[in-house]
Amino acid sequence: MSAVLEARGLCVWRGEQPVLHAVDLSLSAGEALAVVGPNAAGKSTLLRALAGLLPIQAGHVEVQGRPLRAWPRSALARELALVLPDDASARALTVEDSVALGRYPHRGPFRPFTTEDRQAVRRALERTGTLDLAGRRQGALSAGERQLATLARGLAQEPRVLMLDEPAAHLDVGHQLRLFRVLDEVRALGVAVLAVVHDLQRAAAWAARVVLLAGGRVAAQGAPGEVLAGAECARAFGVAIRGHAVPGVAHPLYSFEDAG
Amino acid sequence: MTPATRRRTLVVLVLLLPAALALAVTAGSVPLPLAGVAGSVARRAGLAAASTAPLGEAGEAILWSIRIPRVLLAALVGGGLAVVGAALQAVFRNPMADSGLLGVGAGAGFGAVVAVTLGLSADVFFALPLFSFAGALAAVLAVYALAHAGGRPSLHGLLLTGLAVSALAGAGMSVLLVRTEEFRVKAVLFWLAGGLEGRSWPHLASGALFIVVGGVLLLLLARPLDLLSLGEDEAAALGLSVHAARLGVLGVAALVAGACTAVAGSVPFVGLVAPHALRPLVGSRARHLLPAAFLGGASLVVLADVVARTASGRYDLPLGSLTAIVGAPYFLIALRGQEGR
Repeated sequence: MSAVLEARGLCVWRGEQPVLHAVDLSLSAGEALAVVGPNAAGKSTLLRALAGLLPIQAGHVEVQGRPLRAWPRSALARELALVLPDDASARALTVEDSVALGRYPHRGPFRPFTTEDRQAVRRALERTGTLDLAGRRQGALSAGERQLATLARGLAQEPRVLMLDEPAAHLDVGHQLRLFRVLDEVRALGVAVLAVVHDLQRAAAWAARVVLLAGGRVAAQGAPGEVLAGAECARAFGVAIRGHAVPGVAHPLYSFEDAG
Repeated sequence: MTPATRRRTLVVLVLLLPAALALAVTAGSVPLPLAGVAGSVARRAGLAAASTAPLGEAGEAILWSIRIPRVLLAALVGGGLAVVGAALQAVFRNPMADSGLLGVGAGAGFGAVVAVTLGLSADVFFALPLFSFAGALAAVLAVYALAHAGGRPSLHGLLLTGLAVSALAGAGMSVLLVRTEEFRVKAVLFWLAGGLEGRSWPHLASGALFIVVGGVLLLLLARPLDLLSLGEDEAAALGLSVHAARLGVLGVAALVAGACTAVAGSVPFVGLVAPHALRPLVGSRARHLLPAAFLGGASLVVLADVVARTASGRYDLPLGSLTAIVGAPYFLIALRGQEGR
């Protein structure tokens, strides 16, 4: 399968600081890829660089086989959506108005919305279970509801690649399950999903492939079981990780203990 | 906020402004009857062929050379400041933002003082508003350039730079004022207090150009404004050129607020109060909030100017003080509400 998103030798600096060193990564249509790693490993930087929001020092990123730099901004936003973690300050708009902004890449500043746009917004609200919240201000929602509403905006973009930065960070387990179920639904439609996931257990349960980022480098990548059981993962987090097979549960459960 | 509330609010605002305008042209030290005003306007518009002036010669003169331009100017200034406030609140992602943040007021004040110190304001008609406009623009450009000097500007950097530039303009103003003759200082103080006394058609014509064109431009930027309110990365990821959009909005906002301050002096808090108070009723989308803020801000300043003209029989109260007396407590209450959330 050809990659919809591919990075080779990606180096990104933030200010004077090198953050990513020669990162290789590829993502295919319909794939679930989790990026894991300790704090300050460069996970958020990686997402922003892949979305074209940060200058690239060296290396190469291609979206649909076309260099990132060659994409006009709005065309890129039709291919690739970035869902960022809940931000306390963007709460004045209603859920529906905020989700409708996901159609901006398709309509730009002036062209009026069509039936197609309204349907896309409605589908996104339905899929994320936020249709009932459509008229509410985002500030009046719980963190979980707000995160689902932000995801809905990304879905309204109707991208081929959906990237999420710690989408489950503040969510209770019910909202977490709902969110990852939505991601699986859009994957079934052929959307490639790349998520930075904080919770290793969740990453292992959801993703088909895991990329471990440590110190701005890809320390390991592969099937979740291999990556989590590997020495690189234990070293990156400074803990001992053990997988336990539990009858009736499809994925091993992991326990984490002090490495010392 | 429901669509029904929004529609009702817009209807009320659309009715409120003409009512406020009608009240404002009739009220004053010489009250004019509404019927006479209507007749005179109809006659000028060629709708009624009255052979004699409905208000008498003096009344006609008051209406056409003093009251109507002043009232229209009040509406334009109020509407312009409110639209700018609404736009800046989106750009700064803060419901308490106002044109004062960018140094508009301080820059305009400094420009006014320069005009007075140079002795131009007495000799050259329009020197004061012109210098004040230039001062406002210079302040905003300085804020933007300084904030960008360190590379990628943050909004906090922009806000604090605005504070610093305002302080600098204020210092410059004080330095110039101590070397200015006393009678001229009084002219400056009156200007800074904000008011529409003595403003007429030329002020209206020159102000209207910037305010109306700028207001329409900001309304055309409604969707980018909504995107900016989401945050920088969010907006960029949706395909917006964030820096270009921000620069465009700030530039137009400076033109409008600069023009308002140039013709009316400092009229504080209108840009904050009108959009802030209307947001719960019409929502935060720029395409709804901007027009509502224009109507609300226009009505507010028209009515405030009526109070300024009629509260005392002997002199006009400063318009800017009136809006501050209403606006400052509102600001404090709203601030506590925001902090408490």
